[in-house]
Amino acid sequence: MIEVKYFGAVAEKTKCEFEKLSFSEELSLQKLLQDLDEKYAFESMIFSVAVNQKIVSKTKEYQLQTSDIVALLPPFAGG
Amino acid sequence: MNSDNRYNRQIILPEIGVEGQQKLSKAKVLVIGAGGLGAAILPYLASAGIGKIGIVDDDDVEVSNLHRQVIYKTSAVGKLKAEEAKLMISELNPEIEVDAFSEKLSGKNALSLFEKYDSIVDATDNISIKYLINDACLATNKPMVYGSIFRFQGQVSVFNYQNGPTYRCLYPDENSNALNCEDAGVIGISVGIIGMLQANEVLKMILGIGEVLSGKILVYNILNNEQQKYDFEKSDFQLISRELFEEKYNKTEVEEISFESVLDEINKDEVLFLDVRNEDETPKISLKNQIQIPLMQLENEIEKLDKNQTIYVFCQSGIRSKIAVELLLKHQFKNVKSIFGGVLAMKQLLEEIKI
Repeated sequence: MIEVKYFGAVAEKTKCEFEKLSFSEELSLQKLLQDLDEKYAFESMIFSVAVNQKIVSKTKEYQLQTSDIVALLPPFAGG
Repeated sequence: MNSDNRYNRQIILPEIGVEGQQKLSKAKVLVIGAGGLGAAILPYLASAGIGKIGIVDDDDVEVSNLHRQVIYKTSAVGKLKAEEAKLMISELNPEIEVDAFSEKLSGKNALSLFEKYDSIVDATDNISIKYLINDACLATNKPMVYGSIFRFQGQVSVFNYQNGPTYRCLYPDENSNALNCEDAGVIGISVGIIGMLQANEVLKMILGIGEVLSGKILVYNILNNEQQKYDFEKSDFQLISRELFEEKYNKTEVEEISFESVLDEINKDEVLFLDVRNEDETPKISLKNQIQIPLMQLENEIEKLDKNQTIYVFCQSGIRSKIAVELLLKHQFKNVKSIFGGVLAMKQLLEEIKI
């Protein structure tokens, strides 16, 4: 199981602030993002991605490990 | 009024002391935006004794601001925010210097404004200005204390602190469409909390205490009180020099026109046609008010031209004439345009109408 956290406008799209996802085979970060995009249609929404509290490149080659926490962080604009 | 009395309760903190108070009184902080975030940040910077505070905002106070921009009285509606904020914090602490700039921050004024201060606080409410502030901070080497809100969530970070990561390292993609408060809704408390965290970062930087949020973004959710910090690294390609800043924000726009659209002006005395080709280039064109100065000599012979005259510049195909127009605009020429397609397009048209 991995946990995915959503913030700001991304959480409005997913209608939840976090969810736990199980995966049987190997799952890369890129594949996870692709799956989430298909599920929620983020479209042109911009966000940064963190794995275990660290922002990483969305194209980073990374195999997710059980207990990883992924976060999708869009920029905020209000003030 | 005795200064030591005013600040006594913070001076007795071992982390501050008399020395820390002196650092505060020598500090110069520029706050961009006197809205919800600014309304929280400004009074706390002022009351803590920050020596010089600048406020940049070109908006007026509106009734719909009052629920969250708590430094404004209802009677201030319709008045300039920067001036009203200055009035409020100057009364709060008359010992400090406050400057109000009731203008919009732009590529034109950002660098000269930023140079007068040590730290820049981003209390704005749209994304494109955050990139502008970030880039101007990089060009002038100032730290940027960032704060931003989405409904009940807020973000805080400090960019470009001692050469640390920047807003572009966190969000490299500039084409964002994030909602501001007007579109997304906001309550006063969330901007208050985030603004207060920003003011806290400013004080920590000046005093050299604690851990500055450099290379970290703090995300706060006021509905469940969850607070997370995310680390991010500097990406080297996001460096912005003064030259790059000018190039990006203050590039002079060269206007191109078709020869056809100026045909009825070719006999007017007040219009000059400037040929920037070399003397041996053909075909020749001869219009009533025409002068030839090859591009290479243009800068040296610029006195031959009148800065207030309407000048249409042409060359063989319309490329050198654009460079010439750019050069003339740099020398404060008012009305210069480049003829699209150059002589090749002009000649064809002149033959068609047999002038």
